[in-house]
Amino acid sequence: MTIDPETLMAYADGELDAVSAKRVEKAITAQPELAAQVAAHRALRATLADHFAPVVEAPLPDRLTALLDDRVVPFQPAPRKATVFQVRNLAAMAAALVMGLLLGQVVSLGGSATVGTRQGALVAQGDLAKTLDMQLASTQPADAATRIGLTFRDREGHVCRSFESPALSGIACRAEDIWRLKRTIDGDAREMQAYRQAGSAEIIEAAQNMMAGAPMDAEAERKARQAGW
Amino acid sequence: MAFERDLLALLPRLRRFAMSLSRDAADGDDLCQASIERALKSRDQWQAGTRLDSWMYRIMRNLWIDEVRARTRRSQTFVAEDAGLAVGNDGDRQTEMAVEIGNVGRAMEKLPDEQREVIALVLVEGFAYREAAEILDIPIGTLTSRLCRGREALIVHLGEAA
Repeated sequence: MTIDPETLMAYADGELDAVSAKRVEKAITAQPELAAQVAAHRALRATLADHFAPVVEAPLPDRLTALLDDRVVPFQPAPRKATVFQVRNLAAMAAALVMGLLLGQVVSLGGSATVGTRQGALVAQGDLAKTLDMQLASTQPADAATRIGLTFRDREGHVCRSFESPALSGIACRAEDIWRLKRTIDGDAREMQAYRQAGSAEIIEAAQNMMAGAPMDAEAERKARQAGW
Repeated sequence: MAFERDLLALLPRLRRFAMSLSRDAADGDDLCQASIERALKSRDQWQAGTRLDSWMYRIMRNLWIDEVRARTRRSQTFVAEDAGLAVGNDGDRQTEMAVEIGNVGRAMEKLPDEQREVIALVLVEGFAYREAAEILDIPIGTLTSRLCRGREALIVHLGEAA
């Protein structure tokens, strides 16, 4: 019985159907040199796999991963090419921020302290905690004392919200039923109109660096509140 | 984005395929980058539910063929011998990835392109014959005959037939 080289190769690669494989096996028992060829085919596969394995295990170069990473959006390095993701994120953020900023006038906060500490970390409390708990950017009143800007998830999956008020602005993230203050900008800086833009830009930048995916739209924000953040 | 995430997961394998096609770390990553950019641009053409890896390999292979043709034109315009001399001998670029050219690399270099891509898909990337034939858009008989010839050549070069 003769087995042509291609059939033998297909046998070595497990590509034959059961009947043909049987036929090859029968031939192999009669002709030991065929067994050696099968072994050579399989050894070659293993040799090639070993040779190229380091490529698969090597760390990926940034220039390739950067093309595919829509979560970490480079913001800081000055001359940068705007990717589709950046443009989309920025547009959404700008929309949310404009909503947050333009609604209403500046009204001072209530009397109680809005910031406390818990185990050494700054946390929101009092009116600020209440605002973060309840207020939606899409429905917040024109005269809201503190305005909510963006709501988004950070890379750990926590819901974070940016807020602005005359006294304090920043970003708070929800963990263990507490709003932890991740970034704060002192109210003094906001008193001068000229600094307002700088402050907002700082918050956008901080939010963008923290954000996984795009900021929530009105619907997602409402659902997140319903789910208890 | 699921699409980007899936591509990212494929990236180590795509680099490997790019490396076996181009036989050069820097060229391989250039090819990878071009393939990803093409995929992101043509993402609408990928049908969800079909294999993303096959689709990506096809994109990469076709881009490589374009590149080879462009190089052939360039080398015909300039110095025809250049391509042969440059292969595998560019010390600077080789340091970019910890893959030694070695015997296997040299044996792969001797193969005609059409055999090398078949070897890469089946023996390195582990595609079944039918899958590889679909990626290359060739009949399965053509695939097996190229695979067989390429393999015999490699076995001879590497002395594994002895």
